[in-house]
Amino acid sequence: MTRGLLRPVAGAAGTVVVLAVLVAALPWLWDSDPAATVLRARYPERGVDPATLDALRRELDLPSNPVLGAAEWLGGLLRGDLGTSWVTRAPVAPEVLGALGISLTLALAATLVAAVVAALLLLPGLLAGVRGRAPGRGAAVAAAVLAALPEIVLGSVLVLVVAVGWRLLPSSGFTGPANLVLPALALGAPAGGMLARILSASVEATVAEGWVRTWRSLGLGVPTLALGVTRRAVAVAVPQIALLVVGLLGSAVAVEQLFTIPGIGSVARGAVLAQDLPTVQAAVTLLVLLGLALGGLGVLVHRALLGPALSGRELTGAAETASRPASRTSVVVAVLLLVAVAAGLPRDPSSGNEARRLAPPSLALPFGADPNGRDLYARFAHGALLTVGSAVVVVAVCLVVGLAVGVGARSARAGAADVLNALPPVFVGLLVAAVAGPGLVGAAVAVALVGWVPLAVHARTLAAEARASGYVRAAELVGASRWRVARRHVLPAVLGPVTRHALARVPHAALALAALSFLGLGAAPDSPEWGAMLAAAQGYLERAPWTVLAPVVGLVALAVVLASARER
Amino acid sequence: MKRLVPVLLAAALLLAGCFSGGGGSDDGAGRLRVGLSFPPTAGLSPYGNEATLATRLGVTESLTALVGGEAQPVLATAWTQTTPTTWRFTVRPGVTFHDGSPLSPAAVADSLNRAAAATPVPRALSSLKKDTQRSGAGPVEEAGTPLAVAPEGDAVVVTTPLPDPVLPARLASPELVVLAGGAYADPTRPSPVRAGTGPFVLTAVQGSSGASLDRNPSYWRGPVSAPGIDARFLADSAARANGVRAGELDVAEAIPASQAASIAAPAQVVGVPLPRSVSLYLDQRSPVFADPGVRAAVRQAVRPLDVAGSIYEGRADPAAGLFGPASPWAATRPPRVQTPAGPVPPGTRIRLATYSDRAELPEVATADADALRRAGFTVDVTVLDSSALEAQLGTGAYDAVVLSRSQQLDTGDPVSYLASDFGCAGGYNWARYCDPATDAVLAQGGATTDLAARRQAALDAEARVLSADAVVPQVTERARIGVAGGVTGVAEDPNEQTLITATTARS
Repeated sequence: MTRGLLRPVAGAAGTVVVLAVLVAALPWLWDSDPAATVLRARYPERGVDPATLDALRRELDLPSNPVLGAAEWLGGLLRGDLGTSWVTRAPVAPEVLGALGISLTLALAATLVAAVVAALLLLPGLLAGVRGRAPGRGAAVAAAVLAALPEIVLGSVLVLVVAVGWRLLPSSGFTGPANLVLPALALGAPAGGMLARILSASVEATVAEGWVRTWRSLGLGVPTLALGVTRRAVAVAVPQIALLVVGLLGSAVAVEQLFTIPGIGSVARGAVLAQDLPTVQAAVTLLVLLGLALGGLGVLVHRALLGPALSGRELTGAAETASRPASRTSVVVAVLLLVAVAAGLPRDPSSGNEARRLAPPSLALPFGADPNGRDLYARFAHGALLTVGSAVVVVAVCLVVGLAVGVGARSARAGAADVLNALPPVFVGLLVAAVAGPGLVGAAVAVALVGWVPLAVHARTLAAEARASGYVRAAELVGASRWRVARRHVLPAVLGPVTRHALARVPHAALALAALSFLGLGAAPDSPEWGAMLAAAQGYLERAPWTVLAPVVGLVALAVVLASARER
Repeated sequence: MKRLVPVLLAAALLLAGCFSGGGGSDDGAGRLRVGLSFPPTAGLSPYGNEATLATRLGVTESLTALVGGEAQPVLATAWTQTTPTTWRFTVRPGVTFHDGSPLSPAAVADSLNRAAAATPVPRALSSLKKDTQRSGAGPVEEAGTPLAVAPEGDAVVVTTPLPDPVLPARLASPELVVLAGGAYADPTRPSPVRAGTGPFVLTAVQGSSGASLDRNPSYWRGPVSAPGIDARFLADSAARANGVRAGELDVAEAIPASQAASIAAPAQVVGVPLPRSVSLYLDQRSPVFADPGVRAAVRQAVRPLDVAGSIYEGRADPAAGLFGPASPWAATRPPRVQTPAGPVPPGTRIRLATYSDRAELPEVATADADALRRAGFTVDVTVLDSSALEAQLGTGAYDAVVLSRSQQLDTGDPVSYLASDFGCAGGYNWARYCDPATDAVLAQGGATTDLAARRQAALDAEARVLSADAVVPQVTERARIGVAGGVTGVAEDPNEQTLITATTARS
């Protein structure tokens, strides 16, 4: 037990050190002088003055190389000193810890909302399953749609309706519990859809287990059975739920900005933009440590609920279920989407026309026009290629990496993967953009950097199961090489399920790319990528809802099409 | 599951206290709720950008204030130039700081001397500093402070290293406010908490989220209408507009043009013409723009756009030049010669950048890029955060930038602005424009005390810069202040230095 705990802890500590060196190397990777950026963050619209820059450089006291910088910083960390911000010249610790507390409060509230939403979505399927009937498909589609809703759009609608329209709740700020409701709903509802997707696989697998039939034949009532199935399904999914909470912590940047909440995501974004290295270091490290702690807590709760014997059966987001034909809805939506995109491609997405600014939908402009008077239908169609195309490429890369790592892994736990899992894509995107400048390729790299982890974990679990089977043991006994075993016996068992899992993650990747573009870290702002379209249209949600509708409908349609990928 | 619930609940309770604090006082008895546009990073310290937050909230005051480009008495009652490099400012009697200590010439001298020695030098004074001497690769030699202030009887004597005809206007800068001695506990970031002289006493700053202020019972101008202010710093422009619409804010600055139409009566958006121009700067050293004909082609492509009417929805003014309606003297600008547009070499690629902090700028950049593509250019658009973009100033990373630029520079002096933005040694010269003849015009204008002559020099230099197509002005901005129904007395200050005053009230 001690050895089992020691290894991941040592691995995580090693990864934190590597991460610290990487972050400490940022001043050498940034293509602009940190002193110049810090000066601009302190004093905007001010001229360059070499003397001032020199003085500031002396004040910042950059270490002579990244390794030394990381060592100094880690030494400070051990003494509880997180350093002094370059921009505010105040100690980093109070600001970052305060922001982390705010983000934790928000993430927990959002998790509660997500739990309620997921429960509502899962209840019909659960009851049907317990009664021994096949669950309907409505809930699965509803969950996929909800999970594909951009949080920022949901949040903007909530502000306009609840705060501005009804004046029931505050529209922004974070001074009391009333401020928590709207952002928690905006973050929690899509997360609830995501959670329902994870749990529905778990519920279906559990309902198929033998004991459910035994209990049913014993005449136990529906409530007892439902409770038993829920307990087991939740227990299996606990590690994934822990990941969801971690994801809510750092990925809430857009929602934090919308509601002016000084959370860790916003602090980190501001620090990366201002090249405020000490704050970036503190935010990255705290997020990773908290992510690891939450992940560990998830594993402990998982073990406590299941008992050590079964705890190896970790759910990976794509459980095996009986294959079912794709639903009619998916096929219809897929055909509609394809036809709509193909018909829109010949149109011109980039020419503006001042006279058509925010023109409502008409025969000539089926989706209306954007603030620059560009044809939204053409932009929707061209954006589909960009958004879905890059999402597919990202997922393909993730699949290859995930399979290689998962099948090649010797141990069942990997420190680096867990650390990367704790880093939200938005955050990685910020760092990539800070080094390489904003761009769609950088955003894709950022999403891929963290996106391979769930696939690798899934592949690792399946590979471990395959290796434990009799024929693989036999092959090893007769002297088959490690490579041959992996290629001939393990890979075929892993490939199918993990590919289906990867397919189900395409909308997720598209949404992550869109989120980065929305924050100005992805596609160029005038490109028709769906996230960039959302960012450009956000201020017009109320006056010209059609500007927001086109990319949202695209993201939702994509999710509906791929909602059945799991089963196919 | 059963075991998980108490754990979650306990954690939630434990964290329930994690709010950003402040804003607690209720809005009873007419306290003003004000939304300001950017969060402070140094507790409203006068050294730096957030100095204007303190003046806009009526906390701090300077010796003078700018009205119509000229200095008017505030904490100084009168001034005279005694020699070319010395000025004598009479300090207003009977004024007390918020901590009860009296405003004395010694206190004024102390505040100004500290500001003049600050790093970096306050923007209003930076052009006064003697040229920094650099000896090879060696360290920078101290160039001395731009001001020396000494108390003398009921006045202070200000000495500058160079003759300065516009010193009284410089001293209106929010960075040169007068604070009580207690404010300087940390000399690098003085704190205006209970240390100003204005109509409102700053009692607490809640980090970067808000600030609380109470009425100053002994304000030197007389009684203050509002009992206090609850200020919030809302970086998101939509949040400010929503705050006014939801009845959470009485006054909100910088409402984006896209949101202004949705603020309905009794609330309103007040537009104040600003000396702030949104322009397309063309990098003169970029190989793309070496040919004046190509620059002229850019101007010809972009000028016909109705940016003020479409993107700003009529809430900004079309630009005839760099100076707009906030500079009425510029209406009589001399006619200028324009280079005819030349052919655009095929495959000419322009890297165009702007920043996202002002919601309209990305739209302007998109419209410009579209117009340029129609004119035969290939355009890559980048949108960055303003500090990230400004760090690229002078590096030539972009061929063209769309910027919103204040011509105020705290002094209201058009010559200083042009020297900084279009002078060979200018510190904010995005166009990397360097023309000795223009520099000579600016130097001549800068040497005179005559306001009309300075303005004429500014117009002459503007004509030269525009003829060279170093910059294509697109609109002149207006301050769009969101004001809730029943709120009166909000200052409409084209210098963006005052917002809430002693007369601001909510009925």
